[in-house]
Amino acid sequence: MESQIKKIHQQLMSKEISCTDLVQEKLDLLKQNTHNTVNSLLEETALELAKKVDEKIENGQEIGLLEGIPFGIKDVYMVQGTYTTASSNLLKNYKSSYTATAIQKLLDAGAIPLVKENGDSFGHGSSSENTIFGAVKNAINPALVGGGSSGGSAVNVAKDFTTFSIGGDTGGSIRQPAGYNKVYGLKPTYGRISRYGLMAYASSTDCVGPIAKSIEDIRIVLNIMSGKDVKDQTSYASEEILEDAISNASAIKTVGYFKNFIENEAISPEIKQDFLATIEKMKTKGIAIKELDFFNADVLVSTYYTLAMAETASNLSRLDGTNYGARIEGENLKDTYSITRSENFSEESKRRIVGGNQVLSQGFSDEIYLKAQNLRNQISQRFSEDFNEVDVILSPVTPANPPKIGESLQNPLAMYLSDAYTVGFSLGELPTLTIPKGTETGLQITADKKKDAQVLQFANFLNDIL
Amino acid sequence: MSKMMTVDILSSIKGAEPSESVNKLFNIIKNANQNNNSNNAVNNNVVSLNDLREDVVIESSKIEKEIIVENFPKEKNGFLVVAKVIED
Repeated sequence: MESQIKKIHQQLMSKEISCTDLVQEKLDLLKQNTHNTVNSLLEETALELAKKVDEKIENGQEIGLLEGIPFGIKDVYMVQGTYTTASSNLLKNYKSSYTATAIQKLLDAGAIPLVKENGDSFGHGSSSENTIFGAVKNAINPALVGGGSSGGSAVNVAKDFTTFSIGGDTGGSIRQPAGYNKVYGLKPTYGRISRYGLMAYASSTDCVGPIAKSIEDIRIVLNIMSGKDVKDQTSYASEEILEDAISNASAIKTVGYFKNFIENEAISPEIKQDFLATIEKMKTKGIAIKELDFFNADVLVSTYYTLAMAETASNLSRLDGTNYGARIEGENLKDTYSITRSENFSEESKRRIVGGNQVLSQGFSDEIYLKAQNLRNQISQRFSEDFNEVDVILSPVTPANPPKIGESLQNPLAMYLSDAYTVGFSLGELPTLTIPKGTETGLQITADKKKDAQVLQFANFLNDIL
Repeated sequence: MSKMMTVDILSSIKGAEPSESVNKLFNIIKNANQNNNSNNAVNNNVVSLNDLREDVVIESSKIEKEIIVENFPKEKNGFLVVAKVIED
């Protein structure tokens, strides 16, 4: 699909549409939608900003590429003066006092925020059902989950309610819902985009990333949000990815895939068959294919969740109702903390906080937490070795199709295991893109650290052959 | 502190108990093979001493202060109310 951003830009410049009409149309769609994607609408600000864009065009002034483009924001990003609930009871009336760096960059470029989007509370989930705003319904089949945790963001893009949305990916939270709703979703290299103003879940894997309907739109939004930020010391300076640089994938000669992901009991026969058919197509185009050995999916999932739970227990310890949030008074300070946290966190968040405290506690940290850290290093090292032999790695996004609404809540372990193909790349801090082709829930393209351009390059190639 | 704290106290969640599903994940780690040579922390996002951000005090804007006050859970006679502090 062509770039929606460029198309709208042309339509605005040629006065084929007004920005106010465009924004109003999207707001109306968001209001009427029955997929539970909206936590709050930013109607007043959006219309004010749209009016300014129209005035500029009317006065014959040039507008930037992103100026007037409507977008959505997962409700875990700070945007000054907006409700930032993380889809939770604890923060249901919480307002951001400042704006996240990534979002500020989009605002500075003139993009218009329309909506704070629904998802799993604090990013805890793979279905966008762990939320106080109602389970997000899949864009293609509303009986199925929207995917998580950035489900609302993916559905809004798929349904054209927003031109692009900004999700957050910790263990697969952009890539998996993008796959479930047949859109593109990028988890960039860890640190390429500042995390300042993104509510922390597992800080060592949290990434800001775009969801859109074309590779070109992903590229445009990624470029705007990237860059070193003094407010996030893990961020790094990166070069702009040019359109020309990603249009030709001739430098990509060898593609690897993990054979244990494919020769696995958990993968559905259809996804396996479609994936192998894609591999065959690549061979006919002269791409060399290399089978790679990798860690078992259950080790990847366990390593990820052990570390993510430890980090979330630490990050969410600040949410005790003292300075903000829905405080429930108890008999004393400790009691107030306990009641506030017991009543306001979702079951899934509590499960992860308790798990995190378990692995960090005396007697457990050596045999579980430190061992998981060691395994993470081994996983990363293995990726480095693999990228000496292949240019990119291709994998299915999920082993199975999206579950029905309600199923994931009954079986947390099955939900954790559904992340088997996404979490490894998060642990490796690697850039990974979901493209909505190749299998029912899409394909993931992964390159070595900081080679985000190569991921987009190969996505263009696959788009042409699939 | 010598006394072992239970997960409900550590987590400040009443009656919290370890979950069976989560324990299954932890058991996989306990039983996983470990390579002891892998101590070169590939994933460390270490910040160099030459690259530390400046330690500066930035005054919050008026709107920031207003929102922080607005977010505070309880107010009485113009004061922000905190829960009673206890010592045990």
